[in-house]
Order: sequence, then structure tokens, then C-alpha cells
Amino acid sequence: MDEPVEEAVRSLVRSRAPLARSRAELADDLPLGAGGLGMDSIALVEVLLDCEQRFGMRSGSCSGGWKPADLLQGPPLTVGRLVAHVRAALGS
Amino acid sequence: MILFDELESRLAGLALRHPRPVLSLAAGLGSLRNRLSRRWPDPEQVRLLFPSLTRSEAARAAWRIAALEARNRLLVQCIRRAGAGPARPLVRVSSETFAALRPPLLLGTFHVGAIHALGPALERLPGPVLALRQGRLYPAGPPVEVVTTEGDEQSRAAVFLRALGHLQSGGFVVTALDVAPGPGLAVPCLGHTIELARGPFALARLAGVRIVPLVARWRNGNVEVEVEVETGEALAPAGEMEMAAASARWLESYLLASPAETGLGLLRSLLSRPS
Repeated sequence: MDEPVEEAVRSLVRSRAPLARSRAELADDLPLGAGGLGMDSIALVEVLLDCEQRFGMRSGSCSGGWKPADLLQGPPLTVGRLVAHVRAALGS
Repeated sequence: MILFDELESRLAGLALRHPRPVLSLAAGLGSLRNRLSRRWPDPEQVRLLFPSLTRSEAARAAWRIAALEARNRLLVQCIRRAGAGPARPLVRVSSETFAALRPPLLLGTFHVGAIHALGPALERLPGPVLALRQGRLYPAGPPVEVVTTEGDEQSRAAVFLRALGHLQSGGFVVTALDVAPGPGLAVPCLGHTIELARGPFALARLAGVRIVPLVARWRNGNVEVEVEVETGEALAPAGEMEMAAASARWLESYLLASPAETGLGLLRSLLSRPS
């Protein structure tokens, strides 16, 4: 994995999720919302916007397709899914 | 009181055919029910919220709040059965009211007055409208799209992201300010505390748009939609608490001028939370 991207995403998650700050590690399968870091709807959107800003991505403008709305559909959004999506969008 | 429930349930079918007189009849029944029972609301509850009212003024306000509730209940039944069609001809919007509104804009509603009659009014806004509400009351058509805010945090995040995109692409978003699905923003209102939803204020902050209060009130058996446009500093994009406090001040001012527009649920919610 691209360490800087992965670490940056995890750092953004930590900054938005108070429950993440006391954890030494954020496992890939840890949900950001219910049953995991307990982020509410606004925090979930804010972390996606943080990723956009941090990596200069805009929806549909990246090679792999940064599609934040897709991340919120279907199964619970986990740390690993978010990292993988960002990496795919950046083509890294 | 069972008699009133029975009468009210029979009015829905009739109201679909003759909405104006039947909705007025429902209001009359609601008022009469309050005069007989002195409940829903009790005039003393009204005075707790509006202490400047005399006992007789509070009693009249209570009658009118009960009438408002009865008329709203019947309108909701009609809309559930037949969509917005029966309500549409009842709603009047003055040409200046909506013409002054320019998207992107967040229109914030409160549970006051004829809130359920706002749906048909939204069709007349000059731009695409995304309305957020808890559950769908009826299937709306273009230019209005209604999405539900029901569901878990991730589902609500999806709706929130969609609303943000809608504002960023120059549309109107309409949402209630006084329904907080989770922890809200507690701000003073009418000597009590009101908990406003955080979502609309976060949305306004992130999109950098103003919030304009939108209300409707029953008038002379018809529904006249009134839009109060606040262009002042208070509701301009700012910190969430600042915007929430400004919205609550606007609501307070509106209800002090028209106590009988207070929805029963809002009245109870305010009374349950002293300042």
C-alpha cells in the first residue's frame, strides 16, 4: 500500500472521530459509523470532504473515479474501504 | 372526545371532494373540542409560553392552535390518500414572495402553521428543489424531489452529501430546522430551550449559503404561504450555533406576533425544556 496516502487518510479519520484518538491502530475493517468509530452523518461527510481537499480530488475528475456518494451506499464504510477508494481515485 | 375522533376520520373522504369547506369544518371541530376539554393545548400551557397573554387571550390562542392541529391532521390524511393534488389549489404564493429568492439557498421550516401545505408551494420556487423530510408524505414531481432522512448515520450522510451537491450546483434545499434526529443544537426560544437539528446549519456552513425561514399559515379557509426572507446578518452563513440561535430568534419573533401558529408538538417540546 502507498504508506503516505494510507497514513494521511487514517490521520484525517482520527481528526474527525473522537473515538479514534484513543486507539493505537485503526483496523481496516473498523466501521467509521455505527459499531465502530461512531461518527455521525455530518462527520462522515466531513471526512470525505477532508479527503477531497487533502488529495485535490473532485467527484468524477480522478483517473480511478473519486465517488464519495458510492462509499456511503451499501455496506458500512470502513477505514479500509475509504483508504482503498482514495488510492484507486489517485491511481496509486 | 371519541365523537370528535369519529367525525374527523369521516371528514377525509369528504375533504378530497370539497377541501375548503371541509377543512374549515375540521378547524371548527378542533376549536370546539378544545373549548370543551381545555386540552391539546391547555390555555395555561399557552400562557407558560406566552406569559404576556391574558387568560382570555390564551384561551383563544388555545382554540386556534387546536383548530390548526385539526386542519393539519385532515390535510395530511388528504395528501396521504391523493397526493398534493387536493392541497395545490388551496395554496397561494404572492408573486413577490418567491421571486426574491435566489438559489443556492437553504429554506428552513418549523413545525408551525400549515407546514404540510408547503409541498405544493415548493413547486413554484425558481429552481430545482430538494426537500428533506423524515419519511415520504407523497411522491413529488419535478422540480421538487423529496428524499427521506430516515435511516442510519451512513444513510443520512448520503442524503447530506446529496443535499450539499444540490446546493453547490445552484439549487434550493428545504428542510425542517426543528426536528433533531440526534443530538441537536440547544438554543433559547420563548424563555425555554429549543433543540434544532444540526444538519441544516452544517449544510449551510459547508455550502456557504444563507438560511431563509419558510412558513405557511392557514388564512380564511385557504392556505396562504408566507415566506419570511431574512437577509440580515443573523442567518448568513456562520458558525452552526450562531445560525441556530439566529433561527430560534426569528421563530420566537414570529410566534410572539402570532402565538396561535405554534404547532402542538413544538409547544410541548418547548414546555418540556425550560431555559
